[in-house]
Amino acid sequence: MPQWFVKGLRRGVVTTRYPARPDPLAATLPGPPAFRPDALTGQIADDLVRICPSRAFRRAPGTLIFDAGACTGCGRCRDRAPDAVTASGEFELAATNRSALVKLIPVRGDASTVEVIA
Amino acid sequence: MSSDPPARAAMPPALDEAADELRRRVARQFGRSLHIRTLDTGSCAACEQEIRMLAAPHYDLHRLGFFFTPTPRHADLLLVTGPMLRAFASAARKTYDAMPAPKLVVATGACALGGVYQPDEFSYGSVAAQLPIDVWIAGCPPSPLALLQGLMVAVDRMAEKASRLTFIAGGAL
Repeated sequence: MPQWFVKGLRRGVVTTRYPARPDPLAATLPGPPAFRPDALTGQIADDLVRICPSRAFRRAPGTLIFDAGACTGCGRCRDRAPDAVTASGEFELAATNRSALVKLIPVRGDASTVEVIA
Repeated sequence: MSSDPPARAAMPPALDEAADELRRRVARQFGRSLHIRTLDTGSCAACEQEIRMLAAPHYDLHRLGFFFTPTPRHADLLLVTGPMLRAFASAARKTYDAMPAPKLVVATGACALGGVYQPDEFSYGSVAAQLPIDVWIAGCPPSPLALLQGLMVAVDRMAEKASRLTFIAGGAL
């Protein structure tokens, strides 16, 4: 709030330009994770399913099923596997279809990847 | 009151197209001015905090033609938070029924989307169990920017982005 006040005095405008232009503060928001499939092993994927407090992960052969709608952005998955899980920085998550928020993440080294993706 | 969810998903293709056309007409109608009624079905109030921030100078949703209204009878859009407590379900249905058509329903936050609570004797675990949802806004809580994007998607002034996201780092996220 104080920064906005100073910014407002200096520039006269405090209001974000979003959605016409990106908001610089958007990058600092907590949000869902992004995954590096080359570092995401079956063991890590199983752990993520176990530790996620809001059940945003499910498991299928060769795949980690990630439900961005269930994700609370708590960061436990990033703490468990910093190499495989990073911050996505994504906040524009509105969907007109609930299933659009459910994503299939390929898991390295799991045998039946092809079967699941197809 | 029936506990069956409204059957929006099971429409045949022809009706589906008609629904799409209706959506476009609704979007044209709501393009400039839209009144929002918020409905808390048992949330922790974090979503309400973010919704309240929408009216603050930094976000100022009124510049985009969105307004909050204290009664569903004046509302075009129902912004629903929380996991839909069973004790609140009939009030939620009455709120929805009291809104004049055409109307939009936006589910807000991970509880409303079915992420945090499983269905049990206290809650349905998801707003979709009682209301037909037009737009889903993910986040816990969704930031005011995410809410703005959701509202813009609801009135078709912004394209939906979620279906194109892969959540794979380094790729076309």
